[in-house]
Amino acid sequence: MSNNYFNTLTLRDQLEQLGKCRFMHLNEFTEGVDALKGKKIVVVGCGAQGLNQGLNLRDSGLDVSYTLRQAAIDEKRQSWKNATENGFVVGTYQELIPTADVVLNLTPDKQHTPVVNAIMPLMKQGACLSYSHGFNIVEEGMKIREDLTVIMVAPKCPGTEVRAEYVRGFGVPTLIAVHEDNDPQGNGLALAKAYAVGTGGHKAGVLMSSFVAEVKSDLMGEQTILCGMLQTGSLLCFDKMIEKGIDAGYASKLVQYGWEVVTEALKYGGVTNMLDRLSNPDKIKAFDLAEELKSIMRPLYNKHQDDIIDGTFSSGMMADWANDDANLLGWRADTAETAFEKTPAGDVEISEQEFFDHGILMVAMVKAGVELAFETMTAAGIIADSAYYESLHETPLIANTIARKKLYEMNATISDTAEYGCYLYNHACLPLLQDFMKKIDIDVIGKGTSNDDNGVDNARLIEVNAALRAHPVEIIGGTLRGYMSDMKAIV
Amino acid sequence: MNIKLVNCHFDFEQRFELMEINWCISEGQHWVITGANGAGKSALVASLAGFGERLAGVVTGLPEKVALVSFEAQAALIERERKKDDADIMDVIAVGTPVADILAEDNACPLIIAELLEKFELHYLLDRAFRALSTGETRKVLLIKAIASKPALLILDEPFDGLDAATMAMMEQYFSDLARQMTIVMVLNRCAEIPEFITHLGYMQQATLAHTAALSDEAATRALLQLLHIKTSELQIPAAEGNLINGGLDATQPLVELTDISINYDQLKIVEAFNWRIEPGQHWQLSGPNGSGKTAILSLITGDHPQCYNNDIFVFGFKRGSGESIWQIKQYIGYVSTALQWEYRVGTSLRNVIVSGFYDSIGLYTKASDGQKRIADQWLALLGMSDRADISFNKLSFGDQRLLLIARAMVKHPPLLILDEPCLGLDDINRQLVLALIEKICAGGQSTVLYVNHHSEDKIAGIGHYKHLLKHPDNIAVQ
Repeated sequence: MSNNYFNTLTLRDQLEQLGKCRFMHLNEFTEGVDALKGKKIVVVGCGAQGLNQGLNLRDSGLDVSYTLRQAAIDEKRQSWKNATENGFVVGTYQELIPTADVVLNLTPDKQHTPVVNAIMPLMKQGACLSYSHGFNIVEEGMKIREDLTVIMVAPKCPGTEVRAEYVRGFGVPTLIAVHEDNDPQGNGLALAKAYAVGTGGHKAGVLMSSFVAEVKSDLMGEQTILCGMLQTGSLLCFDKMIEKGIDAGYASKLVQYGWEVVTEALKYGGVTNMLDRLSNPDKIKAFDLAEELKSIMRPLYNKHQDDIIDGTFSSGMMADWANDDANLLGWRADTAETAFEKTPAGDVEISEQEFFDHGILMVAMVKAGVELAFETMTAAGIIADSAYYESLHETPLIANTIARKKLYEMNATISDTAEYGCYLYNHACLPLLQDFMKKIDIDVIGKGTSNDDNGVDNARLIEVNAALRAHPVEIIGGTLRGYMSDMKAIV
Repeated sequence: MNIKLVNCHFDFEQRFELMEINWCISEGQHWVITGANGAGKSALVASLAGFGERLAGVVTGLPEKVALVSFEAQAALIERERKKDDADIMDVIAVGTPVADILAEDNACPLIIAELLEKFELHYLLDRAFRALSTGETRKVLLIKAIASKPALLILDEPFDGLDAATMAMMEQYFSDLARQMTIVMVLNRCAEIPEFITHLGYMQQATLAHTAALSDEAATRALLQLLHIKTSELQIPAAEGNLINGGLDATQPLVELTDISINYDQLKIVEAFNWRIEPGQHWQLSGPNGSGKTAILSLITGDHPQCYNNDIFVFGFKRGSGESIWQIKQYIGYVSTALQWEYRVGTSLRNVIVSGFYDSIGLYTKASDGQKRIADQWLALLGMSDRADISFNKLSFGDQRLLLIARAMVKHPPLLILDEPCLGLDDINRQLVLALIEKICAGGQSTVLYVNHHSEDKIAGIGHYKHLLKHPDNIAVQ
């Protein structure tokens, strides 16, 4: 395994890189796609991100073609079909890479090292190599030829949404970065900005970050609140309801769709709005449960962040890659066998409000996970904007995959890196919450509290409301959502 | 009493013909007949009063006593009086028939006459000659005469025309009392005047009773009134904003030129060796069976089909794939299709949906100018949706969504307006409405219309070029 790039930096540089994140304004993109106009863009890989980003870039007037491995072309694999059916030129690395001014590496993380090793010698002098995730550079320590410019453009949504939003005339929030060790001509930022315009990202908001901040925050978010917490929460909530005699079909439906419904409220108005959807007594209950969850889970969040920062996580995962994904595949199979996964959602009507009223514990879990992930990231030096996007902002996107096809769909949609981290979290968190769950009853998951009167203590309600609104994730969230809604009249 | 007209065809002295009239007026029903000018409303109700020559069909259940109050009846009576005057060869000043005598015709009930004269405050007219009255006065006299004849069926063609508000209110009240004793059929042009006792609406169009609706059926009533609104209001397509987008286009160049086009899915050929040139001002209708590639060809033009980059396509001065963006293409196009409607899943307001047509976006991501909002409001008024400007698009019925998307497509008066089966899924009423709008746009001269359908009955006046696609033989073999 090569050197972890982050660990080669001085503490001062580490902190500087981690703290890099700035929300860019629309007027910084007036040059449009000019920096890429007439340049030859070659995309490596034609999966969901590769294809959809390429479609957007071509529709923005840019010259896009695809390069695939010889075997994928010979066997007419799905990636080959994706590219040719959409009318793109497809060629081998040898045919296309030497002609490229910009190479977009949109292959899965796991393939980055072999892919970059294969294409780098073929790239022409002074060309640009773009990533959509910095794992290869930061965690695997890939060294890129000195004459090449290295940038990152990472749309913060699945590939299909990147396309759908572009076609609507909008875009998805996008993170861009320049790898400072590889910016020989000083035009890395101009290229990254043009690329973001080409995919429509500038309309939805662009964050200028660093490779380091992107990797360390992305890993943390995906394995804790985004995937880990939702997976663990799904299993715990479902099993509790079954244990307490709630109808299995109802329990399955409440969990499968509940995350999506409650995090929709999160998307619009943050944690505050999500809890405001509950009655006053239920809100106080959710708040108290979340506080308890936070104090139980804080050490786990810290451990995840520490392992990510010092590279323990990535080296462990890379060892599993080297071991034919033994852990990953085993965990994936185990997940498919869980009672929640195997119980289909019942044919019962659950109103939007009922998902809140009967899912108080789920609301508490989302609150605890979002706040903990955010607090842990910012404590590690990641700037609040980044931490917000990698925690609260993406939670509804992941919840949406569970609503579609439960945990299977979530794990199939997210990257292998996220999936690996999700299982790690899940295995640590399930036992950690065992005692907590013993005290849980169906009033907070499955049936709802039967408060005949909604009376609460004034002082306590004021305290809870103030604490909710004063949390730093709410402060930055208010600002960032404000930028978003300025640009997007419909959220 | 059940009046039935089945497949009736009436001729009115070769001036007008009613076609294919099917209508049933059951006991206890009271109808308002509405429709655009010249649609045959008056002729329809006059046929119940025995006017017109029935050339075909069957009429049953007509009561013996039918009274009609209409401009035509009024004119006929005045004409009769005028002739009497002419016939007078004595050298005395003819005074004509006094009102009292006119009213006493047809065995009219003197009690009712007295009551109504009082209501209308017309006592002073009794001794005057009928032909000396003003138009409003003769109208009232006829009304009194008709009611006092105690008909089983009272037909009132535009009874409120020319009446002041107080009289109208009094009349409406009076009619609603009358409605308990007789069946009332009215012709009204303004829907706001529909009295409360009315139970049914009928809509006349092109000499036939095209639609009927029970007022208890809210959806049908709403659709019918909307159609009436669009047909009768001075159908003015709102102006585009400031300077038109086609200012920059070279008028001597074709808008679209497709050369030797082929479209394939997997190994399957959908379209092969297809050529098409669309000049500015040439309105086209494109037809063909499902699977013949209509929509695929259109999406090559709009830039929504990925194979537009593999074909020889020239649009609005751009050779596709020469560095232009799809937004540069779309700025010249207004577009409606079912696919667009499926894509248009947004919770934004009706006003914003129309404004989004200026930006070619699904949803609105730019702050609309006041001018754009004003134009959007004009469109909403035209569609009869002003009262719903701020509700959410996804709350609308399918047909109303379609209407709104058509307005969105037309809002900027695009050089090329592509309507891909715009009437698909619309009920009869909404279809008529859409066709009327398209005719208007065709006549407007700013947009070239490309209209796609496979219903031959939806012909648009103003379209003079036709293209018919056949299924590619490969495609037929596979199916």
